[in-house]
Amino acid sequence: MMLLAKAALGLGGTIILAGAYTMREGVIRVDVDEYRAGGSHLHLWVPAAAVPMAMHFVPGKHMRHASEQAREALPVLHAFVKELKKYPDAEFVEIDDNAQHLRARTHGGKLQIDVDAPDQKVHVLCPLSAIEDVTSQLEEHAPGA
Amino acid sequence: MPDRNRGFLVTTVLIAAAALFLSPLGALAQSTAAPASSNQPTTSVSKDRWLHVRVISSDARGESVRVNVPLELAEKVLPAINKHRLHEGKIKIDDAHVNDVDLRALVDAIRTTKDGEFVTVQSKDCDVRVAKQNNHLIVHVLDKENSKKSEVEVRVPMKVIDALFSAGKDELDLVAALHALSAQGDTELVSVKDHENIVRVWLDSKNVTD
Repeated sequence: MMLLAKAALGLGGTIILAGAYTMREGVIRVDVDEYRAGGSHLHLWVPAAAVPMAMHFVPGKHMRHASEQAREALPVLHAFVKELKKYPDAEFVEIDDNAQHLRARTHGGKLQIDVDAPDQKVHVLCPLSAIEDVTSQLEEHAPGA
Repeated sequence: MPDRNRGFLVTTVLIAAAALFLSPLGALAQSTAAPASSNQPTTSVSKDRWLHVRVISSDARGESVRVNVPLELAEKVLPAINKHRLHEGKIKIDDAHVNDVDLRALVDAIRTTKDGEFVTVQSKDCDVRVAKQNNHLIVHVLDKENSKKSEVEVRVPMKVIDALFSAGKDELDLVAALHALSAQGDTELVSVKDHENIVRVWLDSKNVTD
């Protein structure tokens, strides 16, 4: 009985530790709702720390392909995210009219993009550190890196 | 409970508690709140210089645009963009001639000239004034052609213009211009007003528009 309790405690502790480690950078949240026939509804919550970890398991040729595709944008994205981290809570763009609302800002060290339009709603929340990790890994796989 | 079991239990609980406290689960809880619900951007006044663009339209759609860009961010990101005529924060122009006007010579002439009015046009339809005043180049246009008047005022510090033309021949150094701009005090650079729209471009140390 005591052995079982020990095992349960060990397992519980491990799960809590693993959960805490996985959630240490927060979550990437993507919500897309298209209000039309056949429109997509995507609601995605992913632990931010899991993405760079998962990228280690992507086959090298796919990473090289992705890196090649993003070659031009990577230095800009890298510089942009590195600088954005200096502004963890700031409004960058806000566009409003009677029907639509678009906002891009950083909030608590996360990049937040909200689009509210009559036919669609898009909300993206992504920790800047996760974007930086992903761009760094893609840069590592760039041809000639 | 035997002592060794108690020790194991205490250790496990302590590790779990430490992990919970040290991990940003609190941040996770905040992030899971509706993203559009928190409408309170932090206003900060710091040494950071921010370029603001604000467009307010009073037509039926009532559009408004607010853009806030930290100059330091623009200074760091621009050199990373190498596309078309933009390379390393410099933009290529053709022989520094625009419609047979030697821009560089024009800037040199303005720089060495004392403060004063360069162009003054006053007509029934339109007033135009180009002047150098307190180390600023000022362009003011008032369109009176119809009842819907429009007014444009551009004020650019001479140091920014100098920095813009500080690169080699046929190039404008955008990064140098931004750097020079960041050394300026709070200032309004562009103001456009007509019967439907107000456009303002200005520089200050706040990270939100008023």
